[in-house]
Amino acid sequence: MTLAAASDAGPLIHLAEIDSLELFSTFDTLLVPETVYEEIEAGGAPDGLSDLSYELVEADESRVGAEELDAGERAAIAVAKELEAVLLTDDLAAREAASDADIEVHGSLGVIALGYGRGLLDRSEAASRMRALQRETSLFVTEAVVERGIRMLDEQ
Amino acid sequence: MAAEISDRVREIAEARDLPESAVFERALERGLEDLWEDLVVARYLDGELGREEAIEHVGRTKVERAERERDVVEEDVDWGLNA
Repeated sequence: MTLAAASDAGPLIHLAEIDSLELFSTFDTLLVPETVYEEIEAGGAPDGLSDLSYELVEADESRVGAEELDAGERAAIAVAKELEAVLLTDDLAAREAASDADIEVHGSLGVIALGYGRGLLDRSEAASRMRALQRETSLFVTEAVVERGIRMLDEQ
Repeated sequence: MAAEISDRVREIAEARDLPESAVFERALERGLEDLWEDLVVARYLDGELGREEAIEHVGRTKVERAERERDVVEEDVDWGLNA
């Protein structure tokens, strides 16, 4: 199955923080809105981003009404909606706005699980990266919840 | 890391006019509180502790946040394994 994703800044930053940007190669197409790229660049582009294969796309974020979200999140939602791609975000409010707009939405932990599901990572490496995501990045997620996600890998 | 901890303890002690031992004591209390809350949430999510009891220990906000995170993570992992 062909898999296209549009990402906001969160998963790109969080997966870069644990040297896991290569997991985006599990997608056939990765779309990065220009607004998102500018946000990332403003904070200092993470190592490995230049090696990543992605399409820089323009987006009209003004068409997305969720004003509590930042411009990058709205741009990623607009692109995902227009191109029928999966939205990648680690922001709970953006996730809810996307679900309300009938967009399939997942986060960094989902990208790691996808890497495991598609054979890019073995179980031990996937678990180790999930724990690193919780301990070593700016993503806030409760430890017990991550451990629950890791146990789900064994239930496959 | 050890040097960084020492530097921070010294800086906090100076800024708050506290002995360094008091800074360590407060750090231990805060850290222990975090670890305790993690344990309560883990026991609740694993079904070893009831919802009301978990709320009593860590507050409704933390329990509801953990429930939202659990739903999101389960949804994501399930998708990742089957996409």
